[in-house]
Amino acid sequence: MRARALAPALALIALLAPSAAPAAPAAPAAPAAARTDGETRVFARVGAPGFPAYVHVHPGNGRVYAATYTNPTGDTMPSRVFEWTAGGTLQRSWTVPGQNRKAARGVQVATSDARGRLVLLEKSRARVLTLNVRNGRFQVQATIPDLPGRGHPMPNYAAWGPDGGLYVTDDGQDVIWRIPAAGGMPRPWSGSKRLAGTEFGTTGIVYEPSRRSFLISQQSTTDPLDLMRGHLYRLPVRADGGPGVLSTLWTSGPLDLPDGFGVARSGNVYVALLGTNQLVRISPAGKVLARFPKRPLSGANGSPVPFDSPSNATFQGTRVLVANQSAILGTTSHHAVLAVEVGERGAPVFIPSRARLR
Amino acid sequence: MSTLDVGRRGLLAGVAGGAVALGALATEALEHEVVAGTLQGSLPRKVDVVVVGAGIAGLVAARRVARGGRSVLVVEARNRVGGRVLNHGLDTGGTIEAGGAFVGPTQDHIKRLARSLGIATFDEYVTGKNVYVSSTLGRMEFKGTVPPDPTILLDAAVALKTLDQYAAQLPVDAPWAHPRAAEWDRITLGEWLRAHTLNAQGVEHLIRAWTQPGFGADPDQLSLLFVLHYIACSGNETTVGTFERNSDTAGGAQESRFVGGSQRVPLELAKRLGRRVALRAPVTRIAHVDGGVRVHTRRGVVKARRVIVAAPPKQVLGIDFAPGLPAGRRALLQQLQMGRLMKCDAVYDKPFWRDQGLTGFGISDNGAVRAAFDNHVADTGHGVLLAFVGGSTWAQYGTRSLAERRAAVLQGFASMFGEKALRPIEYAEHDWTRERWTGGGPTAIYAPGVMTTHGHHIRTPFRRIHWAGTETSTYWTGYMDGAVRSGERAAAEVLEKR
Repeated sequence: MRARALAPALALIALLAPSAAPAAPAAPAAPAAARTDGETRVFARVGAPGFPAYVHVHPGNGRVYAATYTNPTGDTMPSRVFEWTAGGTLQRSWTVPGQNRKAARGVQVATSDARGRLVLLEKSRARVLTLNVRNGRFQVQATIPDLPGRGHPMPNYAAWGPDGGLYVTDDGQDVIWRIPAAGGMPRPWSGSKRLAGTEFGTTGIVYEPSRRSFLISQQSTTDPLDLMRGHLYRLPVRADGGPGVLSTLWTSGPLDLPDGFGVARSGNVYVALLGTNQLVRISPAGKVLARFPKRPLSGANGSPVPFDSPSNATFQGTRVLVANQSAILGTTSHHAVLAVEVGERGAPVFIPSRARLR
Repeated sequence: MSTLDVGRRGLLAGVAGGAVALGALATEALEHEVVAGTLQGSLPRKVDVVVVGAGIAGLVAARRVARGGRSVLVVEARNRVGGRVLNHGLDTGGTIEAGGAFVGPTQDHIKRLARSLGIATFDEYVTGKNVYVSSTLGRMEFKGTVPPDPTILLDAAVALKTLDQYAAQLPVDAPWAHPRAAEWDRITLGEWLRAHTLNAQGVEHLIRAWTQPGFGADPDQLSLLFVLHYIACSGNETTVGTFERNSDTAGGAQESRFVGGSQRVPLELAKRLGRRVALRAPVTRIAHVDGGVRVHTRRGVVKARRVIVAAPPKQVLGIDFAPGLPAGRRALLQQLQMGRLMKCDAVYDKPFWRDQGLTGFGISDNGAVRAAFDNHVADTGHGVLLAFVGGSTWAQYGTRSLAERRAAVLQGFASMFGEKALRPIEYAEHDWTRERWTGGGPTAIYAPGVMTTHGHHIRTPFRRIHWAGTETSTYWTGYMDGAVRSGERAAAEVLEKR
């Protein structure tokens, strides 16, 4: 979900990526019954500073949240968190406090806790925050440690685990952190070398209670033979709470750069491909069932806003909400949340009652 | 709305237009029914939520709160509902709007609400050409947004495109946070136009024909940042706001009106709320007490868990708050000013301008009529021309006698559409600066420096007090759609509180 440094491969993508589409007149939303698989519409445009990287659908109030992420050419505004109704009406927004103005800024609303507070991952200081939308109060829950010799911390995605702990992927240090259910210091939970990436490492993470395991996406690896391919891994949680043996569910195509994803009740996984501007539907066994759009790169999805570095796929009913980051081209008019009909419902977001932090 | 000139012809025409006259009577009957259905006698001692103001924002908020299972009471200072939305029954038949009237594309919230209340819309008449009256080049006809005045055409087109580009960058929810906010908030729209156009005077005249109806103000009274925000707001979550969508009739914010007049919207809402609305109950004090808020009105005191204040910003200053409002919010309210605007309508036997191939839309750089619209009432057969008299034009004509102003307005129509405009069968006008509980119109305006200094207070709740009203909306602020949005948002804020 981020553009840390533009590798030559990304320059190629940039050349082929979608150009700015002319402003299109407002199109009325089609009735739900009339929607077909893959039908895409603009849920909401994301205002400045833009670059949305993730969408969270709050299981308690049904509202939709996204924050603004990093502008690769430099950040000039503090990050903001937006709240929309389930139908896409902008309700409120908040400015994220305490960001390091000298560092790249970016926030994503990763999930919510059992109290209904939003859990935010803040990039400039590698912090985990909560935001109580009822009173607008931000609270620092943790700062991801900077591990010696392993790059810089960059909390990327997060999911609650079976013990109520918050598990946070770290794009910069190839570690999955665990923050205790009641809050406290983050500790490395899993540090498999297979999670290391070249430019882009560990990204999405979703806990599947029925399998007692995490699904974890990875945009690229350090394996020279597998350099431009990303993966979807399964990582079980052992009875003692430790990580089990990492297995590969799916290996992406070259330059797909798989990013955030959502899991359907059927077990199908919908992964956003940041590199090729597609969504891919993967069966529970790891087989590719469909790609949308079929052709890579153009991002043409039938809506006024093409896929342009899509970064996640969060279920809302029978559609997935996709943060269109435009991380490479930085096309402001592409900064949007897109709604893509997928014809099946998402698995409930796993938020155990103990997941309360401080 | 004060009315003149109901001559014999007018009366006869009124009888002839019986069906629509009945429509006006039906609206009047609805108003009587609504007023009679409101709470009479003493106010309840305690409710969950008190809403201050029975304009569209307040009524929408109240309805949402009630639907959310909370008890609610709307207290309104006037003896009517609707706030800045007010119908006027013409003596010659039909209903026009003395206040907010138009709706257009991307104003989905007011349209959806009206549909749910069984209120249909009809399109403005747009067949033909518009008229532009220039004090230097005379009268010309044109199509589109910018008149083909060679002395301003290119200048204006470039300026409007630039304004659109700036507006597209602006976060509608927080314009003060934009990196160039301070720069844009230091100057007025007028100053910016003079610095970025060759024929500044010509372009400013043209833009004034937009700002006077739209803001009740002139370009030199408006912060550039505020104007950019207004343009950015002229869209919705999926469609970027543009100057054209704000200013245009077809495809713009003046595209259509409500059958029976826009006040039917608040009337129908109030009808459904019934005894949960109390009229003639101006609020004098709102005091936080243990676990709640005590709202003092001229009709009694009501205790509530929460309050939604849905009154025009300046009116809020007339309420005594305990504890006092935060300094920033108070400063914002003090520094916001209401626009100065009146609407003047002339009714004619027929819409004679249509026979000349004209739409009835005109703009002028001089006289009492800077912007005119065909304000017809469906099915009467009459023609109605509407003039917005705002800003410095209001200062020039709004303070004159009714007869003098009427003559000036009719002369303005005549300069656009011909001599027939001098002979209406009815003339009516409404001056919003004289409305005690509004204090101007159509909206509150920001002078330079206000938005970046205090703008962020506009929606921030103060303890148990929440804010609604069109000025607090993120999209279509200043419009009916913004009012609906703000009511929905404020209700959501209240309902999520325990």
